[in-house]
Amino acid sequence: MEQGSDKLSVIERQDAFLAKWVSGEGIEFPSEENKAAYQERAGLVADAIKIDQNIKRVPIMPLTTFAPTMLKGISGRQAMYDPDAAGQAYLDFCTTYGPDTAGSAPMLMYGPALETLKYNLYKWPGNGVADHLSYQFHEKEYMKADEFDHLISDPTDFWLRSWIPKTHAALAPFASMPPVYGSMELPMLGPLLVALGTPPIQEALKALMEAGKQCFDWINVLGSYLGQIMAAGYPFGAGSATKAPFDVLSDSFRGTTPLMMDIYRRPDKVLAAVDRLVRPMIESGVSGAMANGNPLVFIPLHKGADGFMSDDQFKKFYWPTLKAVMYGIVEAGCVPACFVEGGYNQRLEYLAETSDIRCMYLFDRTDMKKAHDQLGGKVCIAGGFPVSLILTGTPDQVKEETKKLIDTAAGKKGYILSIGCAMDEAKADTLSAFIDAGKQYGVY
Amino acid sequence: MADLKDLFTAVVEMQEDTALSLTHSYLDQGIPAIDIFNCYQDALAEIGKRFEQQIYFIPELIMSGEMMKVSAEILKPYLAAQDSGSGGQTQKKLGKVLIATVEGDIHDIGKNIAAMMLELNGFDVMDIGVDVPADKIIEEAMAFGADVIGLSGLLTLAFDPMKSVVEKLKEKGLRDKVKVLIGGGQMDEQVCSYVGADAFVNDAVVGVNFIKGWLN
Repeated sequence: MEQGSDKLSVIERQDAFLAKWVSGEGIEFPSEENKAAYQERAGLVADAIKIDQNIKRVPIMPLTTFAPTMLKGISGRQAMYDPDAAGQAYLDFCTTYGPDTAGSAPMLMYGPALETLKYNLYKWPGNGVADHLSYQFHEKEYMKADEFDHLISDPTDFWLRSWIPKTHAALAPFASMPPVYGSMELPMLGPLLVALGTPPIQEALKALMEAGKQCFDWINVLGSYLGQIMAAGYPFGAGSATKAPFDVLSDSFRGTTPLMMDIYRRPDKVLAAVDRLVRPMIESGVSGAMANGNPLVFIPLHKGADGFMSDDQFKKFYWPTLKAVMYGIVEAGCVPACFVEGGYNQRLEYLAETSDIRCMYLFDRTDMKKAHDQLGGKVCIAGGFPVSLILTGTPDQVKEETKKLIDTAAGKKGYILSIGCAMDEAKADTLSAFIDAGKQYGVY
Repeated sequence: MADLKDLFTAVVEMQEDTALSLTHSYLDQGIPAIDIFNCYQDALAEIGKRFEQQIYFIPELIMSGEMMKVSAEILKPYLAAQDSGSGGQTQKKLGKVLIATVEGDIHDIGKNIAAMMLELNGFDVMDIGVDVPADKIIEEAMAFGADVIGLSGLLTLAFDPMKSVVEKLKEKGLRDKVKVLIGGGQMDEQVCSYVGADAFVNDAVVGVNFIKGWLN
């Protein structure tokens, strides 16, 4: 947090961070034109987030994973192993299509580091899925039902000594490490250090050091492209990412099926666990945003969607801790940007509760008319364009649908045009039609 | 038939411990296993209604699947011993559905939920897993005698493999023999027409209803 910002209201803090981001402070622009272009694009996004009635045009924010690389014929594998190719593709994506925000290239991650860690939470091209594909989540019951108390009493210890050993096979020896708390006094420090000295843990630590070094080298290469993207006038659409506590528990720890049974079998443990994860999720989102000087904290939402659980279950197990994470993030001046996957037609009234902060909801399959009717003018809404049309439609169809979507969703200002999916792939002609139509019809 | 209302209520209300102990105690009392089995079936029908009314969702689907599995294990030896020729275990299935996540996609949650929902609704389901190539899907479907092929996929990268299943069915002259249903978060009318499927769903309950409609 900036000095003196504790005297500001939450909204003032958010506006100050947005203004700093829009200014492009710290970016070395090669020309005034590039700087102006950056400020204009980031400014449009900030205006939409603030629901500024003087906004000039609907900003366009396509979310991408592998689309920039796949559009250039680069395989998923190369994208994850060759930061020059990935960085250049992300830069070219901006200069070719001219979106208002750039995608987060570092979210592609670096394959060699994952190999070093023997990472098994995901499968990735060349490691469980074919080279031309994207990475994919490999959900399993990585946390057993009897581990709730461990997680609740000490999330970091659970993470370090139970979950990481299961999901990062090279770090499996961490499971035999004693808790770090012995270091509180000299006479009790020995067991921890002795354990760290055992050959299996030494090997695990070496793997961790190696993965860290690999990622450091990777980001040094990729980072130069990230700098070029901003210098070319394209702000990044996200400063960091975090998760809703229920999704952490469901996606990464328990698995969907076990957690859905936990709702009946041990509801109090579920509630205590999601509550315990609020602070770590706030810290995780805020720290990345601060480091990147970009207030937008992406929060992909998964298991609270329509069809996954009842309204009562959403109200009890999902929403309170997601809301707490969002309100924690805004305390630091950041802007929660929820990527609302699936449909949220039955949950819009909850989202409307957050109209007292700056936040954004980017929708996937939610009815955008409903979203506009219930949330328009209260919070920033975004998305709603079907990725299916980008991949299987014609440029004319895309143009028509883009116009329709803007007519439906942008009336109260505070709308960002986006595709309701982080694109693994795209088609050049339809993507151009989408962005061009957004610029044409999105002018207020 | 014995009045097993408390068991019915326990199953419908997801009280698995109560349902389990009632099942044991009714068996101990000498209540015919077939009556208990039928009570579970009745409860399941009520649970099915609640899915359609959007009172119940995935937690209840998984819980009821779990209760059915546990009860079936307990009742099986009794049913076999007491089988009078009209036992519940020979219950007629509504039709055969082969289900798979298509090649290149390893996601299985949606597929598993759909398979479970179909089984609970009385279909004979064959689940052949994730990342399954088109040829294998067709081969297995024909061997199984599937009425419907359910193709699951979370990623947009699943669109083309789905299309390939339909095209290969056509090439082999098998397209008229089976219905093809595609399911997943990004499925819509556009994808359905691109793939050449008979219908698309984003929701397992809707999928069951499509299939019931086709097979009736």
